Amino acid sequence: MSPAHHRSSSPSQARREDRELLRRYHDDGDTSAREELIERHLPLVRSLARRYSGRGESLEDIEQVGAIGLIKAIDRFELSRDVSLATYATPNVVGEIKRHFRDKGWAIRVPRALQELNASMSGAIERLTGRLGRSPSIAEIAEELKTTPEEVLEAMEVGSAYSTVSLSTGPSGEEELDPLETIGEEDEGFERSEDRVSLEPAFERLHEREREILRMRFEEGLPQTQIAQAVGLSQMHVSRLIRKSLAEMREELT
Amino acid sequence: MNAERELIDLDAPLAADFHPVIRLIIGGIAERVDFAFEEIDDLQLAVERLLAEAGRRETVHLRFEVAEEAIRARVGPLDEQAIAAALRDGDARPGQLTLERILTTVVDSFGVENAVDGGVVVRLEKRKAYL
Repeated sequence: MSPAHHRSSSPSQARREDRELLRRYHDDGDTSAREELIERHLPLVRSLARRYSGRGESLEDIEQVGAIGLIKAIDRFELSRDVSLATYATPNVVGEIKRHFRDKGWAIRVPRALQELNASMSGAIERLTGRLGRSPSIAEIAEELKTTPEEVLEAMEVGSAYSTVSLSTGPSGEEELDPLETIGEEDEGFERSEDRVSLEPAFERLHEREREILRMRFEEGLPQTQIAQAVGLSQMHVSRLIRKSLAEMREELT
Repeated sequence: MNAERELIDLDAPLAADFHPVIRLIIGGIAERVDFAFEEIDDLQLAVERLLAEAGRRETVHLRFEVAEEAIRARVGPLDEQAIAAALRDGDARPGQLTLERILTTVVDSFGVENAVDGGVVVRLEKRKAYL
């Protein structure tokens, strides 16, 4: 079923269709049902992502991160639950987006022009990497973005900042909990990891995604560009996650 | 770039607040020799991890030597015991990330020397991959 078809059906019918797809995926292992569920709920991801636009990150990147939350929700959904997938997925999508911003450290105030330059850098690096077949130089990135190498370096540094400050409050400083976000389940993986602080080695306490990135970088020796492709994030985001994970692991030992 | 060595010396506080400044300087130096984005990131990460292992010191000296196709950095003095412990990879468990593993991945070579006034200096070399 196409997303357009999904939009034309009534809410109760859409919910029944979702449950049938979830049953096919979880009980029968039908991965095409999973893909259809993802497509059907991408409009929800886009809608939630738009709330977080204008913070120096491209809408496309936010949607991409939100889609990861959607996929997690689909994979974790238990058929015994009497809740719609949309309700269940919403806090997962929002949680993934918030974690993304927390990783990026946008809690730190930076000039808007630098935020915007940083936001456009990610796409420029991807384009240039594809075009050149290698990681671009700073001069090449500057030329692509019609700016100076110095500004690119400064924007890189802005983007490389990370913070452990919670982003449950946004840049405005106001609490940004939406009533819809409080419905459903918490992001289980995240909560579980928070509970394991003193129980397991530092590496084990990282999120699965971060562990996988570190494994690819330092065990397989893969370059960031290949890791970025493998995990579906930008190279800049992979760089930040590596630095942040190593810093967290180091702190754990002190 | 001429064949003569170009040196940049920097004494910096070790406080984490100054790490972004050091990263920015490394980026600026690496840009002069046309390092790729990823290579700059590697060198910044190597220095940042060394600074994290500096031990109980307040300042650190960084020297960058700009060569035609490489940057050589000297970072120190750092606490000898802290660096020795961080570099010990022999008994690392699978999945355990030691400083040695990190440096081996992100720079082309590294070594440790005794500093004149005690402690150790770590040498790093990062070469351009695409010539």
